[in-house]
Amino acid sequence: MLLFRSEEHIDRWSQARDLPRGATLTPEQGWRLAHGWYRNKLQPDWRRHTLEETEALLADAGLTGPFWNLRDE
Amino acid sequence: MTNAGSSSSAELAREVRLYVFRQAAETGRVPQPPEIAGALQRSEPEVVAAVKELAAGKVLILAPNDGNIWAANPFCAVPSGFKVAAGARTYWGICIWDALGICAALGQDASITAPCGDCGEPLRLEVRQGRLVHSEGVIHFAVPAHHWWDNIGFT
Repeated sequence: MLLFRSEEHIDRWSQARDLPRGATLTPEQGWRLAHGWYRNKLQPDWRRHTLEETEALLADAGLTGPFWNLRDE
Repeated sequence: MTNAGSSSSAELAREVRLYVFRQAAETGRVPQPPEIAGALQRSEPEVVAAVKELAAGKVLILAPNDGNIWAANPFCAVPSGFKVAAGARTYWGICIWDALGICAALGQDASITAPCGDCGEPLRLEVRQGRLVHSEGVIHFAVPAHHWWDNIGFT
C-alpha cells in the first residue's frame, strides 16, 4: 500500500508497471483502517481479527464492494 | 504428551510475541531469534520454531532469504521509506498502512514521512491525540483484499 501525491501519480505508476488501478483511499480512511487493525497489537491478549471483524473494519472505513471482498470468490 | 507439547509451544510463541512487540515499541528495533533466545533464556532452535509458528499465523512476516523477522507488523525490522517519528524514537513500516498502524499501536502522537510511490516526493501525515490532523496525498491498494497474503511483500 503506497502513498501518492495525487490520483495522476497513481495513474502514472500503474501505467509504468502495466498494472491495473487498484483502490484509492483518503488518508483518513487509511487511518481508520489502520487504527482498527493495529490499535490492540501490543496488548498481551491480542488475537487476529475474525473474518467478520475484518469485514466490519473495512466497512467502518467505507471500504465496500468487490475489491474489499475477503470471502472465497 | 502431545497436548502438553503443543501447549508449551503455544506458550513460548506467546512469550516470543510479547517480547518482540514490546521491544519494537520501546526501542524501534525488531529483535531477531538470537536476541530473543537470550532474553527469554530459551534455545535458539526453540525460538526459531516459535517465530515460524507466529509467521504461519500471520502475526509476523519472515524475510524470504534468511528467515529473519522482516516485520512484526506494523513494525518493519529494516529501515524503509515509511518513517514514523514518535517521542524520541524512529520506527519504520513496510507500507503506508503499517506506518499509520505504528501510530495506532503506540497510541502516541506521531509524524509519518513517506515518499510518493511515483515521483518520490516526501509526503507527511501527522497523528495527534488519536486523530489524523494533517495529511498529504492519497493511498493506493494495488491488490484486492482477498489476495493480500498471496504475496504480502508486494501487497
